[in-house]
Amino acid sequence: MNKNLARLAIFTSKINRQHVQLVLAIAALAMLVLGVGAPSGGSTGGPH
Amino acid sequence: MILLSALILGLFVGLGWARWKNQPYQAPPLKSMWLVLVAFLPQLVVAYLPVSRYLLPDWLAATSLSASLIVFVAFVWLNRRLPGMPILMVGLGLNLVVILVNRGWMPISPFTASHLVDGNALQSVSVGSRFGQKDILLLPQDMHFEILSDRFLLPDWFPYKVAFSLGDIFIALGIFWLLAKPASRTEGQRS
Repeated sequence: MNKNLARLAIFTSKINRQHVQLVLAIAALAMLVLGVGAPSGGSTGGPH
Repeated sequence: MILLSALILGLFVGLGWARWKNQPYQAPPLKSMWLVLVAFLPQLVVAYLPVSRYLLPDWLAATSLSASLIVFVAFVWLNRRLPGMPILMVGLGLNLVVILVNRGWMPISPFTASHLVDGNALQSVSVGSRFGQKDILLLPQDMHFEILSDRFLLPDWFPYKVAFSLGDIFIALGIFWLLAKPASRTEGQRS
């Protein structure tokens, strides 16, 4: 248990602010392109 | 999918460029990111979540889609100084215009739609009905700004079938540029 907690602590210490900002920015940009784009794919919706 | 591919490609190019220059890759310094979430939520309900996609009446779904695009315009405008954003803004503008003048949906012709689904599936959709996530099936003569509709197709040999608009091309180029050439902190905060 303590070993796992120590591993988790090491892992989280490697995640710095820049990584979090990058992930947030990519997520926001993914929502942006999905939101503003309007391509129609054969496998992504199809007819109603 | 085609737009997410441009995003991923831009990210890889940006990461590769940063590594080559021996610099850390900087995320684009986006302002007011919460606006994206506000704008995307209605689209999640009316276009992307299969369980809720057809729950709302078409007029309400179309209104939500248009309102969502207007919030996206605000976000892109606030971030217009970032590289790639002006190109993305052009694409957003083109898609917004064609969607607003075609009852709140992106028009697609039966000819283009026939390349995406098989003939039997297409026969079950009447002209003027919703097609796919954000499209409406319309005859070219009934469309406004047909040139801005989902009219471009990937080559037949390409395994993925998709129709996209001129606006989508600008959006793909803009997002690629934004991530492939990330701005410095000062560049993003100048506006």
